[in-house]
Amino acid sequence: MIAFEHVGKRYGGRFEALSNIDFRVSRGEMVFLTGHSGAGKSSLLRLIMRLERPSRGRVMVAGHDIDKLHPSQLPFYRRQIGVVFQDHQLLFDRSIYHNVALPLEIRGLAPRDIARRVRAALDKVGLLHREKALPIELSGGEQQRVGIARAVVNKPALLLADEPTGNLDPQLSADIMGLFEDFHRIGTTVMIASHDLALIARLRHRTLRLSEGRLVADEEAA
Amino acid sequence: MSARHSRKGAATPRGASAAARTGGRQEASTSPRGARQQTVRAQGQWQAWLRHHRAMCVDSLRRLVRQPVGSLLTMLAIAIALVLPSALWLSLDSAKLVDAELDASATLTAYLDKGVSESETGRILEALEAQSEVAATELITAEQGMAEFQQSLGLDDALARLDENPLPAAVVISPTTPSPEAMAALSERLSAMSGVAEVRLDLAWIERLRQLAELGRRLTLALGVLFGLGVLLVVGNTIRLAVENRRKEIEVVTLIGATHAFVRRPFLYSGAWYGLGGGLLAWGLLTLGSDWLAAPVASLAASYGAHYQLPTLGLVGSTTLLTCSTLLGWLGAWIAVSRHLAGIKPR
Ligand SMILES: Nc1ncnc2c1ncn2[C@@H]1O[C@H](COP(=O)(O)OP(=O)(O)O)[C@@H](O)[C@H]1O
Ligand SMILES: [Mg+2]
Repeated sequence: MIAFEHVGKRYGGRFEALSNIDFRVSRGEMVFLTGHSGAGKSSLLRLIMRLERPSRGRVMVAGHDIDKLHPSQLPFYRRQIGVVFQDHQLLFDRSIYHNVALPLEIRGLAPRDIARRVRAALDKVGLLHREKALPIELSGGEQQRVGIARAVVNKPALLLADEPTGNLDPQLSADIMGLFEDFHRIGTTVMIASHDLALIARLRHRTLRLSEGRLVADEEAA
Repeated sequence: MSARHSRKGAATPRGASAAARTGGRQEASTSPRGARQQTVRAQGQWQAWLRHHRAMCVDSLRRLVRQPVGSLLTMLAIAIALVLPSALWLSLDSAKLVDAELDASATLTAYLDKGVSESETGRILEALEAQSEVAATELITAEQGMAEFQQSLGLDDALARLDENPLPAAVVISPTTPSPEAMAALSERLSAMSGVAEVRLDLAWIERLRQLAELGRRLTLALGVLFGLGVLLVVGNTIRLAVENRRKEIEVVTLIGATHAFVRRPFLYSGAWYGLGGGLLAWGLLTLGSDWLAAPVASLAASYGAHYQLPTLGLVGSTTLLTCSTLLGWLGAWIAVSRHLAGIKPR
């Protein structure tokens, strides 16, 4: 599903945020990405989303060199990836329902289909009863669950998450990770950047460890 | 996984279940069923496109109404930029009428020798009318000339004190062809006739008027272009601020796969609404203005013995004004959005 081939990423010419990253993730796998702050986790995810382009090497997704995508194809490429952010990137001027509906509206689904799928996604994250609320009225954990609902409402083949439990207490973090495991179970490829080592260790999935832009460990689940 | 293969995505849960449902026949695009599915899909996309247009059209209007003062100010600025060239264009339209009247009123005046007898005058008149280039003649005797002169200048007393009428008799001649060249030639020949002292030909002021009209036309064009640019700037600036205000939203929708067209659409509708609003305001200002000016213009014209009415926009003019303003608003928005979208990169 994902293949990094000797990928390097420089910002501003001199500083190398990622160097010689080489790994593969198969379809349906669930992978954690760990490392200290500034190790390059976010940069790696942004390369997959094609928000950044590699300075060297190739990033292959589903067999395609995504660097070769034409700008006009990018929106359609991104529609197939669900992304969850640490700061969840919700729009605060519209309800939970309309936040989750956004990817479907972009795809031009009929309102009837949108309603059905939004409710299914909200139900999955346990927030169906809050669909009319504004994001500001929700707790941090609930906002993060809305972010997840929005990421999966499109039924993406690939789900990326950048520190999805960054600001949450251990119990909420475990709940959120449980949601990701559910999607993994139905066949979605999941990649989660996190520095919550204790939680990752408990969940027993493959873990890629970055340090100063290098891939220093690739550990299969124990 | 690429854009091209987005619809199939065979290894995704969705793709897998869809393939299972259709027994894998989805791949065979040559089958009748595949063809039908493609038509349905194309129809669905067309409907989705229409739906989004409709939604953005309404949504952008709603946003305008939510900030009535700001929107009105923008529209007023557009209206002011539109009023001046429109007013010029209108008066030019009336200059065209003057043009037509000029042709009709192009005449020569032949002043006869002073003191010619009435019979002599009659003979000269006949000779004049015999010319093929002369369409009509009108005799103004010395006495008539004096009376007109007195009336138009209001100098009754001063002129009454003159012992002798200083004015000669005159014949006003309408030529068959009112072109400047033909009239100049005619005037040359007429002045050679005996009994004719002088032929006055007012080509100069006709020419001057024509050039004035041409100047007006070019001025209108130049001002139209200039003020059109002004409208683009006004709308562009407003839309730039709107884009800046919704920066976060643009970043998020770009992140989750919105196309440029999708992002641009609400702003283009806003621009078109601003343009239409500005056009309507300009139309109102023009109507008010011509109402306000109508009375003095009419009495001014009456004092010259003319009947002249201020031109109005009419249906064609109004439609043109509103179409142009709407298009200008749309264009201004397009330029602003395109320039600023390039600078917005999702984080
Ligand atoms: N847009 C950018 N421009 C310049 N440097 C950047 C940019 N994004 C990240 N970096 C740098 O790259 C390094 C890796 O950052 P990041 O990928 O965010 O790490 P992590 O997510 O693991 O904390 C950091 O040193 C960071 O300062
Ligand atoms: Mg990070």
